[in-house]
Amino acid sequence: MLKIKHFIQQSWLLIISSFFFGLLIAIANARWSDEIEQNRIDKLNHLTVALLPEAKHFIDLDTLGIEIEIEASKGKRKKIKVYKAVSGADECVGWSFNAAGQGFQDKIELVIAVDKDFQKLAGFDVLASNETPGLGDKIKYDDDYRAQFKGAPAGKLEAVRTLDAKKKRSQIVVISGATVSSEAVVKIISNSITQIKKQMQEKGLIGNGK
Amino acid sequence: MANDTKAAACLYKQTLLAGLWRENPVFRLLLGMCPTLAVTAAVKPALTMGLSVIFVLLCSNIVVSLMRNLLKPHLRILMFTLTIATFVTIADLFLKAFVPVMSERLGPYVPLIIVNCIIICRAEACASKNNLVVSIIDALGMGVGFTLALCILAGVRELLATGTIFEIQIFALAEKGGWFVPWAAMSMPVGAFITLGLLLGLVNVVCKRKS
Repeated sequence: MLKIKHFIQQSWLLIISSFFFGLLIAIANARWSDEIEQNRIDKLNHLTVALLPEAKHFIDLDTLGIEIEIEASKGKRKKIKVYKAVSGADECVGWSFNAAGQGFQDKIELVIAVDKDFQKLAGFDVLASNETPGLGDKIKYDDDYRAQFKGAPAGKLEAVRTLDAKKKRSQIVVISGATVSSEAVVKIISNSITQIKKQMQEKGLIGNGK
Repeated sequence: MANDTKAAACLYKQTLLAGLWRENPVFRLLLGMCPTLAVTAAVKPALTMGLSVIFVLLCSNIVVSLMRNLLKPHLRILMFTLTIATFVTIADLFLKAFVPVMSERLGPYVPLIIVNCIIICRAEACASKNNLVVSIIDALGMGVGFTLALCILAGVRELLATGTIFEIQIFALAEKGGWFVPWAAMSMPVGAFITLGLLLGLVNVVCKRKS
């Protein structure tokens, strides 16, 4: 009994403050979460349009009642948002989706675009990451690295560390000084794209052509 | 009574000016070096960081000053950290909601304000020992001093790296028929170290001459 009394005497301010500060953060989060989500959607649209310049608007497959799931960490399945990119003439010009995975510092969230047949990558961009500034965050702006993804096969990709004269199109040379982050990007794209492609073929959204 | 008022006004003035020059956190105390070097490649992110630090410093000094008589000595650092972390989280959410471009540009350096020495230093050295008014003035002086230092450093670096200030072209670029050749190194970490070193040397010379 005395121990509990002593504990409360010593820490009552800390306990009350924790509740009060927690409440303050919860109020701020509730008040601004809509704006934060809207900013995220705006950025996603902006990045996707840059990757698929012919696209005029995007149809969320969720709204058509089509659900795509991929295997995330520890065997858990995670729902993925896949968008159909449509041109002004209402023709499908490609597909885009979000995928995430562990980077060097924290989770890396990507937006990935592929062509209409799901055969070739149109590219990727970074939606959110906390990689080390000046090192890991080169995945956002290293043009040579990013250019390798454009036109690469939409399937299993392999991260390689040295430039080989016989380099295959599915091999991506990682960035020196940002090895873990750039390997993580290859892994995220490779993992998500193979699973999404398989499900989309099963659902008849794309052909089975190789 | 008149003497008391005069003494209080003198104390407030001294507290305010200390942060701006005599005890400037960047140029005199060398505190908060991580954001000083990392976010000063351009003036806009530097100003955003400065304003965020002013907000956090002001709020944490107010809270710490109000509960200074209730603080247990062995738990005070924990209380400071809890207070600072709360206001940094709120500042981070605000930037993400209303200034997303700057939030993205500053990246992890906004959450890292939690470990900025200036804030915990002012909570320990000033707010936990002084009344509310002195704590507020101290927070404003230190915060504005930090922001000014960051903006001066960022101004020099942005001007030499791109010929702009606040992204407004000041120097005519050589590639567009002008005379200025951008000095790319100034936007890199090496530029931050060189500029900070030169500015510290300049401040030291001025201080020596004054004394």
